[in-house]
Amino acid sequence: MNQHTLKITASDQPTVLERLLQVSRYRGFTVTGMTMFPSNESKQLDIELSVASEQPVANLEKQLNKLFDILDVNVENKETQQCRA
Amino acid sequence: MSSNGKFTGGSLLFNVLQEHGVKHVFGYPGGAIMPIYDALYDSEVEHFLCRHEQGAAFSAIGYARASGKVGVCFATSGPGATNLITGLADALADSIPVVAITGQVPTVAMGSDAFQEIDVFGLSLACTKHSFQVKDVSELGEVLHQAFEIATSGRPGPVLVDIPKDIQVAEAQPLHAVKAVQFERDQTKADLTQAQALLASAQKPVLYVGGGVGMSEAVPELRAFMKTCKMPSVATLKGLGSIDKDDPAYLGMLGMHGTKAANLAVQQCDLLIAVGARFDDRVTGKLAKFAPNAKVIHLEIDPAEIHKRRFADASVLGDIKVNLPPLAMPLSIDDWYAHCLAMKADYGWRYDHPGDSIYAPSVLKQISDVMPSNTVVTTDVGQHQMWAAQHMEFDHPSNWLTSGSMGTMGFGLPAAIGAQVSRPLDPIVAVTGDGSFMMNVQEMSTIKRFQLPVKILLIDNAKLGMVRQWQDLFFQGRLSETDLSDNPDFTMLANAFDIKAKTITDKNEVNDAVAEMFAHQGPYLLHVKIDAEDNVWPLVPPETANDKMMEKGK
Repeated sequence: MNQHTLKITASDQPTVLERLLQVSRYRGFTVTGMTMFPSNESKQLDIELSVASEQPVANLEKQLNKLFDILDVNVENKETQQCRA
Repeated sequence: MSSNGKFTGGSLLFNVLQEHGVKHVFGYPGGAIMPIYDALYDSEVEHFLCRHEQGAAFSAIGYARASGKVGVCFATSGPGATNLITGLADALADSIPVVAITGQVPTVAMGSDAFQEIDVFGLSLACTKHSFQVKDVSELGEVLHQAFEIATSGRPGPVLVDIPKDIQVAEAQPLHAVKAVQFERDQTKADLTQAQALLASAQKPVLYVGGGVGMSEAVPELRAFMKTCKMPSVATLKGLGSIDKDDPAYLGMLGMHGTKAANLAVQQCDLLIAVGARFDDRVTGKLAKFAPNAKVIHLEIDPAEIHKRRFADASVLGDIKVNLPPLAMPLSIDDWYAHCLAMKADYGWRYDHPGDSIYAPSVLKQISDVMPSNTVVTTDVGQHQMWAAQHMEFDHPSNWLTSGSMGTMGFGLPAAIGAQVSRPLDPIVAVTGDGSFMMNVQEMSTIKRFQLPVKILLIDNAKLGMVRQWQDLFFQGRLSETDLSDNPDFTMLANAFDIKAKTITDKNEVNDAVAEMFAHQGPYLLHVKIDAEDNVWPLVPPETANDKMMEKGK
């Protein structure tokens, strides 16, 4: 399994988290951690999402980028990190 | 205006629909969407009452696919909304612009397990491009505009807008408060340097055309490109109709039920130019052995499709209509071109079929030969669908409506209704099977009500034919639950909906029956009984390379 952390900027919509989690699961990524920082002034959310998967993280990055409420996706550690069991 | 004389959320919905040029919607009323149906009463938008919400969704899809416009459907909350879901999934899988409006219980009742309450937003996550739930009437106009923009922009898809009943009756600001946006195509040109270099050095190129060509309105650009390049070409199920059918090196459909020439050419090529296609599993067969010697140029609008299933040596991201023309160049590939022409000639279709029984591929070929070029053919899913894809030819992808990615039985009849509404003067033929037809058979009522002159070609083998074929080939002939010999009397059934119908069983009857069907002014059902044992050939078995196809009598 490869571990990755994605820094995501999203519209502050009540539905955005469900959408994010649904796409992550469907595309084969297990969410191993998530932190969310609402920013009331800009009506945006900063989300840090940690995922584990056998799939290339670019697959998830591209699918998340397609979501209407997701404004920006950055993969923090593009290089693959192996999980130590 | 609503029945209480106020301008409401419901009134605003029809304002926005008209702003987007929507003239026709398909739907079914119910409790939580009644205020919208009340506003419809005074609207100029024409509503087509379907007899099941799934029929409404498929009619909206057929409307969109035949016309290039957005299809719109309405359903009430709860079961009305859940009945739309299969249609939304179909639209997402085939990238069809549909806007679905659902009624919802009032906001005060939401989350209380109210009568006919379902979390349709939650249900929509996996089967829409985007979905909205409107909680404040002041957001409604903007949300509806966004729904149309999202449905049509980039890679199209379905968008759901869930509107609680109190939002529908709330007083709203008329349209002038809302910006009507004219959506423009992205004209950004991609960097073609790498793609041009690959094409210039290719010895054995093949053009692999998908549904994206028709959806980006790039059929003229594609045909111009092919005139310059003169290279062998193949099409996906959704790409049929894009390539000029008279192009000598057009080899037909590729994939699981593709032609032998198309599959062999792709397996042998050294460059595959994928245009608006996505290396679907029904196209590639065993992915690791698909086009094993080929480099790939991938022209695509959806970044997530690049490298998804096949690495692209050159990717061209953006609108095909913009990016394909500058890639055109004359090629020197005479030997390869001649080789592909020879394969096409050697492996052409054969229509000989022993005995008096009717051979479905012959009937479909015959209809294809006589039907006017503006005819729209819809299909359901199964053997008849693959036979139609193999043996019928189309001048444009908007004349060929089939449920490709989702493979949804029950698609054909309601899609034909939507197509007929969008193109009232064009002939519409719904090719269906005895299994699929029964899945949305109630839509014959819609045909009757609006006297839509849809022609239904029902190919009946009294079997769930494709599953039966697989049970014979891959499950030791254990025919489990695929016998449909207790089907209803289909002509009597059609007659019950005032639809003229005829049954034929002998190949000598085909000519006259087809002529009679097309000559009839109103709706018509031609019931064609065929042998239960007829199979779709060729067939690439699951997890097999496309050059290892099974063939008739082998």
